[in-house]
Amino acid sequence: MPRSIFNATISFGLVNVPIKLYSATESKTVHFREVHETDGAKIEHRRIDPETGDVVPYDDIVKGYEVAQGEFVELSKEEIAAAAGEKTKRIAIDEFVPAGAIDPVFYEKTYYVGCREGGADAYRTLHAALAQTERAGIGHMTYHNREYLVAIRALDDVIALHTMRFADELVPGDELDAGEPEKGPSQREVKMAGSLVDALAAEFKPEEQRDTYRESVLAMIDAKAKGKQVVRAAPDEPAEETDLLAALQASVKGAKG
Amino acid sequence: MPRSLWTGSLSFGLVNVPVQLVTAVQDVGFRFRQLNSKTHRPIEVRRFCSEEDREVAYEEIAHGYELDDGNQVIITDEDLAAVEPRKTRTIDIDSFVELADVDPIYFDHPYFLVPIGESEGTLRAYQLLVEVMSSTDRAALGRFVMRTKEYLVLVRVRDGRLALTTLLWHDEVRESKGIAPGGKAKPDKTCVEQTVALIEALSVDWDPSRYEDEYRKRVADVIARKKKGGTIKAPAAEKEPAPTPDLMAALEKTLAEMKGGGGGKASAAGSGGRDELEGMTKQELAQRAADEGVEGRSKMTKDELVDALAG
Repeated sequence: MPRSIFNATISFGLVNVPIKLYSATESKTVHFREVHETDGAKIEHRRIDPETGDVVPYDDIVKGYEVAQGEFVELSKEEIAAAAGEKTKRIAIDEFVPAGAIDPVFYEKTYYVGCREGGADAYRTLHAALAQTERAGIGHMTYHNREYLVAIRALDDVIALHTMRFADELVPGDELDAGEPEKGPSQREVKMAGSLVDALAAEFKPEEQRDTYRESVLAMIDAKAKGKQVVRAAPDEPAEETDLLAALQASVKGAKG
Repeated sequence: MPRSLWTGSLSFGLVNVPVQLVTAVQDVGFRFRQLNSKTHRPIEVRRFCSEEDREVAYEEIAHGYELDDGNQVIITDEDLAAVEPRKTRTIDIDSFVELADVDPIYFDHPYFLVPIGESEGTLRAYQLLVEVMSSTDRAALGRFVMRTKEYLVLVRVRDGRLALTTLLWHDEVRESKGIAPGGKAKPDKTCVEQTVALIEALSVDWDPSRYEDEYRKRVADVIARKKKGGTIKAPAAEKEPAPTPDLMAALEKTLAEMKGGGGGKASAAGSGGRDELEGMTKQELAQRAADEGVEGRSKMTKDELVDALAG
Protein backbone atom coordinates (compact mmCIF):
# COMPACT_ATOMS: atom_id res chain seq x y z
CA MET A 1 0.00 0.00 0.00
CA PRO A 2 1.37 3.44 -0.89
CA ARG A 3 2.19 5.96 1.77
CA SER A 4 -0.35 8.66 2.54
CA ILE A 5 0.62 12.19 1.59
CA PHE A 6 -1.68 14.35 3.68
CA ASN A 7 -3.82 14.16 6.82
CA ALA A 8 -7.01 16.20 6.90
CA THR A 9 -10.59 16.23 8.14
CA ILE A 10 -13.59 16.06 5.83
CA SER A 11 -16.46 18.00 7.33
CA PHE A 12 -20.05 18.24 6.23
CA GLY A 13 -22.72 19.64 8.48
CA LEU A 14 -21.49 19.01 12.04
CA VAL A 15 -19.80 15.74 11.10
CA ASN A 16 -15.99 15.60 11.03
CA VAL A 17 -14.26 12.61 9.47
CA PRO A 18 -10.49 12.36 10.09
CA ILE A 19 -8.92 11.14 6.84
CA LYS A 20 -5.65 10.54 4.98
CA LEU A 21 -5.09 11.19 1.30
CA TYR A 22 -3.19 8.87 -1.02
CA SER A 23 -2.20 9.58 -4.63
CA ALA A 24 -4.44 7.43 -6.78
CA THR A 25 -2.24 7.70 -9.85
CA GLU A 26 1.46 7.55 -10.66
CA SER A 27 3.25 8.24 -13.91
CA LYS A 28 5.07 5.24 -15.36
CA THR A 29 6.74 7.23 -18.10
CA VAL A 30 10.42 6.25 -18.27
CA HIS A 31 12.27 9.08 -16.58
CA PHE A 32 15.86 9.98 -17.23
CA ARG A 33 18.17 12.31 -15.48
CA GLU A 34 20.20 14.84 -17.38
CA VAL A 35 23.82 13.82 -17.78
CA HIS A 36 26.80 15.26 -19.64
CA GLU A 37 27.12 13.22 -22.81
CA THR A 38 30.94 13.11 -22.81
CA ASP A 39 31.58 11.98 -19.23
CA GLY A 40 28.18 10.82 -17.94
CA ALA A 41 28.40 13.21 -15.00
CA LYS A 42 25.23 14.55 -13.43
CA ILE A 43 23.97 17.90 -14.70
CA GLU A 44 23.27 20.47 -12.03
CA HIS A 45 20.80 23.30 -12.49
CA ARG A 46 22.33 26.38 -10.94
CA ARG A 47 20.56 29.65 -10.30
CA ILE A 48 22.72 32.33 -11.84
CA ASP A 49 22.49 36.09 -11.70
CA PRO A 50 22.98 36.91 -15.41
CA GLU A 51 24.74 40.24 -14.72
CA THR A 52 27.43 38.85 -12.43
CA GLY A 53 27.47 35.19 -13.49
CA ASP A 54 27.42 34.25 -9.79
CA VAL A 55 25.33 31.53 -8.21
CA VAL A 56 22.41 32.97 -6.20
CA PRO A 57 21.85 31.11 -2.88
CA TYR A 58 18.39 29.56 -2.44
CA ASP A 59 17.62 31.82 0.53
CA ASP A 60 18.03 34.89 -1.66
CA ILE A 61 15.43 33.73 -4.17
CA VAL A 62 12.01 35.36 -4.12
CA LYS A 63 9.11 35.10 -6.51
CA GLY A 64 8.46 38.01 -8.84
CA TYR A 65 5.34 38.84 -10.78
CA GLU A 66 6.04 40.97 -13.83
CA VAL A 67 3.58 43.89 -13.77
CA ALA A 68 5.26 45.75 -16.64
CA GLN A 69 8.24 44.99 -18.88
CA GLY A 70 11.13 44.36 -16.46
CA GLU A 71 9.17 45.62 -13.46
CA PHE A 72 8.44 43.02 -10.80
CA VAL A 73 6.38 42.85 -7.65
CA GLU A 74 8.37 40.66 -5.28
CA LEU A 75 6.65 38.17 -3.03
CA SER A 76 8.38 36.45 -0.16
CA LYS A 77 7.57 32.87 0.79
CA GLU A 78 5.34 34.16 3.60
CA GLU A 79 3.42 36.41 1.25
CA ILE A 80 2.87 33.51 -1.13
CA ALA A 81 1.56 31.55 1.86
CA ALA A 82 -0.84 34.40 2.64
CA ALA A 83 -2.48 33.89 -0.75
CA ALA A 84 -3.21 30.29 0.16
CA GLY A 85 -6.00 31.63 2.31
CA GLU A 86 -7.09 29.96 5.48
CA LYS A 87 -4.41 27.63 6.70
CA THR A 88 -6.66 24.73 7.33
CA LYS A 89 -6.69 20.97 7.32
CA ARG A 90 -10.44 20.96 6.94
CA ILE A 91 -11.91 19.79 3.66
CA ALA A 92 -15.29 21.47 3.96
CA ILE A 93 -17.96 19.91 1.77
CA ASP A 94 -20.51 22.63 1.07
CA GLU A 95 -22.92 20.94 -1.27
CA PHE A 96 -23.67 17.83 -3.29
CA VAL A 97 -24.32 17.39 -7.01
CA PRO A 98 -25.28 14.40 -9.17
CA ALA A 99 -21.90 12.69 -9.73
CA GLY A 100 -22.80 11.68 -13.28
CA ALA A 101 -23.48 15.30 -14.24
CA ILE A 102 -19.84 16.35 -13.72
CA ASP A 103 -18.03 16.11 -17.03
CA PRO A 104 -14.72 14.31 -16.35
CA VAL A 105 -12.92 17.21 -18.05
CA PHE A 106 -13.29 19.03 -14.71
CA TYR A 107 -11.35 16.39 -12.79
CA GLU A 108 -7.68 17.20 -12.55
CA LYS A 109 -5.89 14.83 -10.20
CA THR A 110 -7.33 11.95 -8.22
CA TYR A 111 -6.60 10.89 -4.66
CA TYR A 112 -7.95 8.04 -2.60
CA VAL A 113 -9.35 8.94 0.81
CA GLY A 114 -8.39 6.63 3.66
CA CYS A 115 -9.53 6.98 7.22
CA ARG A 116 -7.64 7.72 10.40
CA GLU A 117 -8.30 6.60 13.93
CA GLY A 118 -11.76 7.45 15.19
CA GLY A 119 -13.15 7.94 11.71
CA ALA A 120 -14.06 4.45 10.48
CA ASP A 121 -17.79 4.65 11.27
CA ALA A 122 -18.22 8.10 9.79
CA TYR A 123 -16.14 7.06 6.74
CA ARG A 124 -18.28 4.00 6.06
CA THR A 125 -21.46 6.00 6.55
CA LEU A 126 -20.37 8.78 4.18
CA HIS A 127 -19.21 6.23 1.60
CA ALA A 128 -22.52 4.36 1.75
CA ALA A 129 -24.55 7.56 1.48
CA LEU A 130 -22.50 8.87 -1.47
CA ALA A 131 -22.87 5.53 -3.25
CA GLN A 132 -26.59 5.32 -2.56
CA THR A 133 -27.37 8.88 -3.68
CA GLU A 134 -24.87 8.74 -6.60
CA ARG A 135 -23.85 12.23 -5.64
CA ALA A 136 -20.48 13.92 -5.35
CA GLY A 137 -19.68 16.36 -2.56
CA ILE A 138 -18.14 19.68 -3.65
CA GLY A 139 -15.86 21.59 -1.32
CA HIS A 140 -12.48 23.19 -0.77
CA MET A 141 -9.12 21.90 0.34
CA THR A 142 -5.85 23.71 1.06
CA TYR A 143 -2.80 21.69 0.13
CA HIS A 144 0.79 22.93 -0.18
CA ASN A 145 -0.17 26.59 0.16
CA ARG A 146 -2.87 26.54 -2.43
CA GLU A 147 -6.59 26.19 -2.26
CA TYR A 148 -8.33 23.69 -4.51
CA LEU A 149 -11.91 23.04 -5.46
CA VAL A 150 -12.49 19.35 -4.81
CA ALA A 151 -15.12 16.70 -5.43
CA ILE A 152 -15.51 13.54 -3.37
CA ARG A 153 -17.39 10.51 -4.64
CA ALA A 154 -17.72 6.80 -3.94
CA LEU A 155 -15.45 4.73 -6.20
CA ASP A 156 -15.74 0.98 -5.61
CA ASP A 157 -15.12 0.58 -1.89
CA VAL A 158 -13.23 3.82 -1.31
CA ILE A 159 -13.99 7.50 -1.40
CA ALA A 160 -12.12 9.24 -4.22
CA LEU A 161 -11.22 12.92 -4.09
CA HIS A 162 -10.57 14.87 -7.27
CA THR A 163 -9.02 18.30 -7.47
CA MET A 164 -11.11 20.25 -9.98
CA ARG A 165 -10.54 22.66 -12.82
CA PHE A 166 -12.55 25.87 -12.81
CA ALA A 167 -14.93 26.61 -15.66
CA ASP A 168 -12.77 29.50 -16.90
CA GLU A 169 -9.75 27.20 -17.21
CA LEU A 170 -11.48 25.30 -19.99
CA VAL A 171 -11.27 26.52 -23.56
CA PRO A 172 -14.85 26.97 -24.83
CA GLY A 173 -15.54 24.80 -27.88
CA ASP A 174 -17.05 27.72 -29.80
CA GLU A 175 -13.76 29.64 -29.62
CA LEU A 176 -12.16 27.14 -31.94
CA ASP A 177 -11.98 28.00 -35.63
CA ALA A 178 -13.77 25.03 -37.07
CA GLY A 179 -15.59 25.75 -40.31
CA GLU A 180 -19.08 24.45 -41.03
CA PRO A 181 -19.59 22.37 -44.16
CA GLU A 182 -21.89 23.92 -46.80
CA LYS A 183 -23.92 20.76 -46.84
CA GLY A 184 -24.15 18.63 -43.71
CA PRO A 185 -23.60 14.88 -43.87
CA SER A 186 -26.47 12.97 -45.46
CA GLN A 187 -28.75 10.70 -43.47
CA ARG A 188 -27.25 7.77 -45.26
CA GLU A 189 -23.75 8.76 -44.20
CA VAL A 190 -24.82 9.25 -40.57
CA LYS A 191 -26.51 5.85 -40.61
CA MET A 192 -23.48 4.22 -42.17
CA ALA A 193 -21.11 5.83 -39.64
CA GLY A 194 -23.50 4.68 -36.89
CA SER A 195 -23.18 1.10 -38.11
CA LEU A 196 -19.43 1.44 -38.03
CA VAL A 197 -19.62 2.58 -34.39
CA ASP A 198 -21.81 -0.45 -33.64
CA ALA A 199 -19.49 -2.79 -35.53
CA LEU A 200 -16.52 -1.52 -33.55
CA ALA A 201 -18.31 -1.53 -30.18
CA ALA A 202 -16.16 -3.10 -27.49
CA GLU A 203 -15.83 -3.17 -23.74
CA PHE A 204 -13.35 -0.85 -22.09
CA LYS A 205 -10.66 -3.15 -20.72
CA PRO A 206 -7.81 -0.92 -19.62
CA GLU A 207 -5.80 -3.86 -18.32
CA GLU A 208 -5.50 -5.14 -21.88
CA GLN A 209 -3.97 -1.93 -23.21
CA ARG A 210 -0.20 -1.89 -23.07
CA ASP A 211 2.08 1.09 -23.28
CA THR A 212 4.15 -0.33 -26.10
CA TYR A 213 6.27 2.82 -26.30
CA ARG A 214 7.35 2.45 -22.67
CA GLU A 215 8.13 -1.22 -23.36
CA SER A 216 10.30 -0.39 -26.36
CA VAL A 217 12.17 2.36 -24.48
CA LEU A 218 12.93 -0.10 -21.67
CA ALA A 219 13.96 -2.78 -24.20
CA MET A 220 16.25 -0.27 -25.94
CA ILE A 221 17.84 0.69 -22.60
CA ASP A 222 18.34 -2.99 -21.86
CA ALA A 223 19.93 -3.59 -25.28
CA LYS A 224 22.18 -0.59 -24.84
CA ALA A 225 23.21 -1.76 -21.38
CA LYS A 226 24.26 -5.02 -22.99
CA GLY A 227 26.17 -3.16 -25.66
CA LYS A 228 23.85 -3.72 -28.63
CA GLN A 229 23.17 -1.34 -31.54
CA VAL A 230 19.81 0.39 -31.97
CA VAL A 231 18.35 1.20 -35.42
CA ARG A 232 15.58 3.50 -36.53
CA ALA A 233 12.36 2.60 -38.38
CA ALA A 234 10.73 4.73 -41.13
CA PRO A 235 7.39 6.54 -40.50
CA ASP A 236 4.10 5.56 -42.13
CA GLU A 237 1.87 8.08 -43.92
CA PRO A 238 -1.93 7.67 -44.07
CA ALA A 239 -3.71 7.69 -47.45
CA GLU A 240 -5.81 10.73 -48.41
CA GLU A 241 -9.52 9.93 -48.42
CA THR A 242 -11.93 11.52 -50.88
CA ASP A 243 -15.20 9.62 -51.14
CA LEU A 244 -16.72 9.67 -47.65
CA LEU A 245 -19.58 7.26 -48.28
CA ALA A 246 -17.49 4.72 -50.15
CA ALA A 247 -14.90 4.80 -47.36
CA LEU A 248 -17.61 4.28 -44.74
CA GLN A 249 -19.11 1.37 -46.63
CA ALA A 250 -15.74 -0.26 -47.04
CA SER A 251 -14.98 0.29 -43.32
CA VAL A 252 -18.24 -1.25 -42.15
CA LYS A 253 -17.61 -4.20 -44.41
CA GLY A 254 -14.08 -4.49 -43.07
CA ALA A 255 -15.18 -4.24 -39.42
CA LYS A 256 -17.82 -6.92 -39.90
CA GLY A 257 -15.42 -9.08 -41.93
CA MET B 1 -7.63 29.78 -30.52
CA PRO B 2 -4.92 27.87 -28.64
CA ARG B 3 -1.94 26.93 -30.79
CA SER B 4 -1.78 23.63 -32.58
CA LEU B 5 0.23 20.97 -30.73
CA TRP B 6 -0.02 18.24 -33.33
CA THR B 7 -1.45 17.85 -36.80
CA GLY B 8 -2.39 14.66 -38.55
CA SER B 9 -5.54 12.78 -39.27
CA LEU B 10 -8.20 11.09 -37.26
CA SER B 11 -8.57 7.68 -38.78
CA PHE B 12 -12.00 6.15 -38.44
CA GLY B 13 -12.23 2.95 -40.44
CA LEU B 14 -11.13 4.06 -43.89
CA VAL B 15 -12.17 7.66 -43.34
CA ASN B 16 -9.34 10.07 -42.58
CA VAL B 17 -10.17 13.53 -41.27
CA PRO B 18 -7.26 16.02 -41.22
CA VAL B 19 -7.22 17.54 -37.73
CA GLN B 20 -5.08 19.57 -35.42
CA LEU B 21 -4.85 19.04 -31.71
CA VAL B 22 -5.23 22.02 -29.36
CA THR B 23 -5.30 22.06 -25.59
CA ALA B 24 -8.69 22.33 -23.90
CA VAL B 25 -7.32 23.96 -20.75
CA GLN B 26 -5.99 27.49 -20.64
CA ASP B 27 -3.55 28.96 -18.18
CA VAL B 28 -5.41 31.64 -16.24
CA GLY B 29 -3.21 31.61 -13.13
CA PHE B 30 -0.26 33.79 -12.28
CA ARG B 31 3.20 33.00 -13.57
CA PHE B 32 6.07 33.96 -11.34
CA ARG B 33 9.74 34.46 -12.14
CA GLN B 34 12.51 33.66 -9.69
CA LEU B 35 14.31 36.84 -8.63
CA ASN B 36 17.49 37.51 -6.71
CA SER B 37 16.17 39.43 -3.69
CA LYS B 38 19.50 41.32 -3.36
CA THR B 39 19.64 42.68 -6.90
CA HIS B 40 15.93 42.36 -7.78
CA ARG B 41 16.87 40.83 -11.10
CA PRO B 42 15.41 37.66 -12.60
CA ILE B 43 17.81 34.77 -12.30
CA GLU B 44 18.65 32.29 -15.00
CA VAL B 45 18.84 28.56 -14.52
CA ARG B 46 21.93 27.19 -16.26
CA ARG B 47 23.18 23.66 -16.65
CA PHE B 48 26.55 22.72 -15.22
CA CYS B 49 28.54 19.51 -15.43
CA SER B 50 29.00 18.41 -11.83
CA GLU B 51 32.39 16.80 -12.58
CA GLU B 52 34.01 19.52 -14.62
CA ASP B 53 32.21 22.34 -12.79
CA ARG B 54 31.58 24.18 -16.07
CA GLU B 55 28.47 25.29 -17.92
CA VAL B 56 27.42 22.89 -20.68
CA ALA B 57 25.42 23.61 -23.83
CA TYR B 58 22.06 21.94 -24.31
CA GLU B 59 23.45 19.82 -27.16
CA GLU B 60 25.94 18.19 -24.79
CA ILE B 61 23.20 16.81 -22.58
CA ALA B 62 22.18 13.17 -22.75
CA HIS B 63 19.75 11.06 -20.75
CA GLY B 64 21.02 8.93 -17.89
CA TYR B 65 19.11 5.84 -16.85
CA GLU B 66 20.01 4.12 -13.63
CA LEU B 67 19.91 0.32 -13.77
CA ASP B 68 18.89 -1.84 -10.84
CA ASP B 69 22.54 -2.66 -10.13
CA GLY B 70 23.31 1.03 -9.71
CA ASN B 71 25.15 1.36 -13.02
CA GLN B 72 24.08 4.05 -15.42
CA VAL B 73 23.32 3.72 -19.14
CA ILE B 74 23.67 6.85 -21.23
CA ILE B 75 20.88 7.22 -23.76
CA THR B 76 21.23 9.73 -26.60
CA ASP B 77 18.51 11.48 -28.59
CA GLU B 78 19.39 9.14 -31.49
CA ASP B 79 18.74 6.09 -29.29
CA LEU B 80 15.33 7.47 -28.36
CA ALA B 81 14.57 8.29 -32.00
CA ALA B 82 15.27 4.66 -32.89
CA VAL B 83 12.38 3.46 -30.72
CA GLU B 84 9.97 6.21 -31.73
CA PRO B 85 6.71 4.55 -32.71
CA ARG B 86 6.32 4.28 -36.48
CA LYS B 87 2.96 5.89 -37.06
CA THR B 88 3.22 9.50 -36.13
CA ARG B 89 0.54 11.21 -38.17
CA THR B 90 -2.70 9.42 -37.35
CA ILE B 91 -5.04 8.92 -34.45
CA ASP B 92 -6.22 5.36 -34.98
CA ILE B 93 -9.64 4.52 -33.60
CA ASP B 94 -9.70 0.86 -32.57
CA SER B 95 -13.09 0.56 -30.94
CA PHE B 96 -16.05 2.38 -29.43
CA VAL B 97 -16.57 1.92 -25.70
CA GLU B 98 -19.33 3.00 -23.32
CA LEU B 99 -18.24 6.38 -21.98
CA ALA B 100 -19.77 5.47 -18.60
CA ASP B 101 -17.41 2.47 -18.36
CA VAL B 102 -14.32 4.66 -18.47
CA ASP B 103 -13.90 5.90 -14.93
CA PRO B 104 -12.81 9.58 -14.88
CA ILE B 105 -9.77 8.46 -12.87
CA TYR B 106 -8.26 7.43 -16.25
CA PHE B 107 -8.70 10.88 -17.79
CA ASP B 108 -5.40 12.70 -18.08
CA HIS B 109 -5.12 15.82 -20.24
CA PRO B 110 -8.03 17.24 -22.25
CA TYR B 111 -7.67 18.50 -25.81
CA PHE B 112 -9.90 19.40 -28.74
CA LEU B 113 -9.54 18.16 -32.31
CA VAL B 114 -10.18 20.88 -34.89
CA PRO B 115 -10.55 20.19 -38.63
CA ILE B 116 -7.71 21.54 -40.76
CA GLY B 117 -8.57 23.75 -43.71
CA GLU B 118 -11.84 24.70 -45.31
CA SER B 119 -12.25 21.81 -47.71
CA GLU B 120 -15.88 20.70 -47.88
CA GLY B 121 -14.85 17.04 -47.66
CA THR B 122 -12.91 17.54 -44.42
CA LEU B 123 -15.56 19.69 -42.77
CA ARG B 124 -18.29 17.22 -43.73
CA ALA B 125 -16.36 14.22 -42.44
CA TYR B 126 -15.66 16.11 -39.18
CA GLN B 127 -19.33 17.09 -38.88
CA LEU B 128 -20.32 13.49 -39.55
CA LEU B 129 -18.20 12.28 -36.64
CA VAL B 130 -19.64 14.98 -34.37
CA GLU B 131 -23.19 13.97 -35.30
CA VAL B 132 -22.64 10.25 -34.96
CA MET B 133 -20.81 10.54 -31.67
CA SER B 134 -23.39 12.92 -30.21
CA SER B 135 -26.07 10.35 -30.85
CA THR B 136 -24.34 7.48 -29.07
CA ASP B 137 -23.24 6.90 -25.47
CA ARG B 138 -20.02 5.49 -26.83
CA ALA B 139 -16.65 7.20 -27.14
CA ALA B 140 -13.88 6.25 -29.54
CA LEU B 141 -10.84 4.55 -28.05
CA GLY B 142 -7.63 4.91 -29.98
CA ARG B 143 -3.94 5.62 -29.95
CA PHE B 144 -1.66 8.24 -31.35
CA VAL B 145 1.88 9.46 -31.06
CA MET B 146 2.76 12.98 -30.01
CA ARG B 147 6.31 14.18 -29.45
CA THR B 148 7.72 10.63 -29.53
CA LYS B 149 5.34 9.25 -26.93
CA GLU B 150 2.40 6.99 -27.63
CA TYR B 151 -0.89 7.80 -25.92
CA LEU B 152 -4.08 5.88 -25.32
CA VAL B 153 -6.88 8.33 -26.07
CA LEU B 154 -10.61 8.69 -25.86
CA VAL B 155 -12.42 10.82 -28.45
CA ARG B 156 -15.93 12.06 -27.76
CA VAL B 157 -18.06 15.16 -28.37
CA ARG B 158 -17.97 18.11 -26.00
CA ASP B 159 -19.20 21.64 -26.75
CA GLY B 160 -20.10 20.51 -30.29
CA ARG B 161 -16.48 19.63 -31.10
CA LEU B 162 -14.49 16.43 -31.09
CA ALA B 163 -12.77 16.32 -27.73
CA LEU B 164 -9.76 14.11 -27.14
CA THR B 165 -8.42 13.15 -23.76
CA THR B 166 -5.24 11.24 -23.12
CA LEU B 167 -5.83 8.33 -20.76
CA LEU B 168 -3.61 6.94 -18.05
CA TRP B 169 -2.37 3.41 -18.56
CA HIS B 170 -3.90 0.78 -16.36
CA ASP B 171 -0.78 0.39 -14.22
CA GLU B 172 -0.67 4.16 -13.64
CA VAL B 173 -3.89 3.94 -11.65
CA ARG B 174 -3.08 2.53 -8.24
CA GLU B 175 -5.08 -0.16 -6.57
CA SER B 176 -7.24 1.13 -3.77
CA LYS B 177 -7.05 -2.10 -1.82
CA GLY B 178 -6.43 -1.59 1.89
CA ILE B 179 -7.19 2.14 1.86
CA ALA B 180 -10.82 2.14 3.01
CA PRO B 181 -11.38 1.01 6.62
CA GLY B 182 -11.10 -2.76 6.66
CA GLY B 183 -13.17 -5.35 8.43
CA LYS B 184 -16.69 -6.56 7.82
CA ALA B 185 -18.34 -3.76 9.79
CA LYS B 186 -21.39 -2.26 8.07
CA PRO B 187 -22.37 1.35 8.68
CA ASP B 188 -25.38 1.89 10.91
CA LYS B 189 -28.53 1.95 8.76
CA THR B 190 -30.10 4.94 10.48
CA CYS B 191 -26.86 6.93 10.24
CA VAL B 192 -26.72 6.23 6.50
CA GLU B 193 -30.36 7.31 6.14
CA GLN B 194 -29.66 10.54 8.01
CA THR B 195 -26.57 11.19 5.87
CA VAL B 196 -28.60 10.56 2.71
CA ALA B 197 -31.18 13.06 4.00
CA LEU B 198 -28.41 15.57 4.69
CA ILE B 199 -26.88 15.05 1.21
CA GLU B 200 -30.27 15.56 -0.36
CA ALA B 201 -30.90 18.71 1.64
CA LEU B 202 -27.57 20.10 0.47
CA SER B 203 -28.00 19.03 -3.15
CA VAL B 204 -27.83 21.48 -6.03
CA ASP B 205 -27.52 21.08 -9.79
CA TRP B 206 -23.99 20.77 -11.18
CA ASP B 207 -23.13 24.19 -12.55
CA PRO B 208 -19.37 24.70 -12.82
CA SER B 209 -19.72 28.45 -13.44
CA ARG B 210 -20.79 28.87 -9.81
CA TYR B 211 -17.31 28.06 -8.54
CA GLU B 212 -14.62 30.69 -8.60
CA ASP B 213 -10.95 30.28 -7.92
CA GLU B 214 -10.57 32.09 -4.59
CA TYR B 215 -6.86 31.28 -4.57
CA ARG B 216 -6.31 33.11 -7.84
CA LYS B 217 -8.24 36.12 -6.50
CA ARG B 218 -6.15 36.17 -3.33
CA VAL B 219 -2.90 36.00 -5.31
CA ALA B 220 -4.14 38.97 -7.39
CA ASP B 221 -4.99 40.78 -4.16
CA VAL B 222 -1.60 40.06 -2.56
CA ILE B 223 0.18 41.32 -5.69
CA ALA B 224 -1.95 44.47 -5.79
CA ARG B 225 -1.38 45.24 -2.10
CA LYS B 226 2.34 44.57 -2.36
CA LYS B 227 2.58 46.83 -5.41
CA LYS B 228 1.16 49.67 -3.31
CA GLY B 229 3.77 48.94 -0.67
CA GLY B 230 1.54 47.16 1.84
CA THR B 231 2.67 44.38 4.14
CA ILE B 232 1.12 40.99 3.97
CA LYS B 233 0.90 38.52 6.80
CA ALA B 234 -0.03 34.88 6.45
CA PRO B 235 -3.17 33.95 8.40
CA ALA B 236 -2.75 31.82 11.50
CA ALA B 237 -3.31 28.11 11.13
CA GLU B 238 -6.78 26.84 11.96
CA LYS B 239 -6.94 24.04 14.49
CA GLU B 240 -7.88 20.76 12.92
CA PRO B 241 -11.43 19.81 13.93
CA ALA B 242 -11.79 16.83 16.27
CA PRO B 243 -13.41 13.65 14.95
CA THR B 244 -17.15 13.53 15.63
CA PRO B 245 -17.61 11.50 18.84
CA ASP B 246 -21.29 10.63 18.30
CA LEU B 247 -22.12 10.33 14.61
CA MET B 248 -25.88 9.97 15.03
CA ALA B 249 -26.14 12.97 17.36
CA ALA B 250 -24.09 15.13 14.97
CA LEU B 251 -26.25 14.12 11.99
CA GLU B 252 -29.47 14.78 13.86
CA LYS B 253 -28.25 18.15 15.07
CA THR B 254 -27.14 19.16 11.57
CA LEU B 255 -30.49 18.19 10.08
CA ALA B 256 -32.40 20.01 12.83
CA GLU B 257 -30.35 23.16 12.25
CA MET B 258 -30.90 22.95 8.53
CA LYS B 259 -34.64 22.84 8.92
CA GLY B 260 -34.18 26.60 9.48
CA GLY B 261 -36.66 28.57 11.61
CA GLY B 262 -36.35 25.73 14.14
CA GLY B 263 -34.32 25.72 17.29
CA GLY B 264 -30.84 25.37 15.80
CA LYS B 265 -28.00 27.85 15.88
CA ALA B 266 -28.78 28.88 12.32
CA SER B 267 -31.69 30.97 13.50
CA ALA B 268 -30.69 31.66 17.07
CA ALA B 269 -31.17 35.42 16.71
CA GLY B 270 -34.28 34.86 14.65
CA SER B 271 -34.39 38.38 13.24
CA GLY B 272 -32.78 37.71 9.87
CA GLY B 273 -30.68 40.85 10.38
CA ARG B 274 -27.63 41.39 8.21
CA ASP B 275 -25.15 40.77 11.04
CA GLU B 276 -26.74 37.47 11.83
CA LEU B 277 -26.86 36.49 8.16
CA GLU B 278 -23.20 37.33 7.69
CA GLY B 279 -22.32 35.03 10.53
CA MET B 280 -24.04 32.11 8.87
CA THR B 281 -22.37 29.50 6.70
CA LYS B 282 -23.26 29.25 3.02
CA GLN B 283 -25.11 26.02 3.77
CA GLU B 284 -27.27 27.73 6.36
CA LEU B 285 -27.92 30.66 4.04
CA ALA B 286 -28.83 28.33 1.18
CA GLN B 287 -31.27 26.50 3.42
CA ARG B 288 -32.88 29.69 4.60
CA ALA B 289 -33.09 30.95 1.00
CA ALA B 290 -34.81 27.68 0.09
CA ASP B 291 -37.25 28.09 2.99
CA GLU B 292 -38.06 31.61 1.88
CA GLY B 293 -38.28 30.61 -1.77
CA VAL B 294 -35.58 33.05 -2.94
CA GLU B 295 -35.38 32.80 -6.73
CA GLY B 296 -32.05 31.99 -8.39
CA ARG B 297 -30.59 30.98 -5.01
CA SER B 298 -28.66 28.02 -6.37
CA LYS B 299 -26.47 30.36 -8.43
CA MET B 300 -25.81 32.87 -5.68
CA THR B 301 -22.55 33.43 -3.88
CA LYS B 302 -22.56 33.71 -0.10
CA ASP B 303 -22.66 37.53 -0.28
CA GLU B 304 -25.50 37.49 -2.76
CA LEU B 305 -27.45 35.18 -0.50
CA VAL B 306 -26.94 37.58 2.41
CA ASP B 307 -28.16 40.47 0.22
CA ALA B 308 -31.20 38.54 -0.97
CA LEU B 309 -32.17 37.46 2.55
CA ALA B 310 -31.48 40.81 4.22
CA GLY B 311 -33.40 42.72 1.56
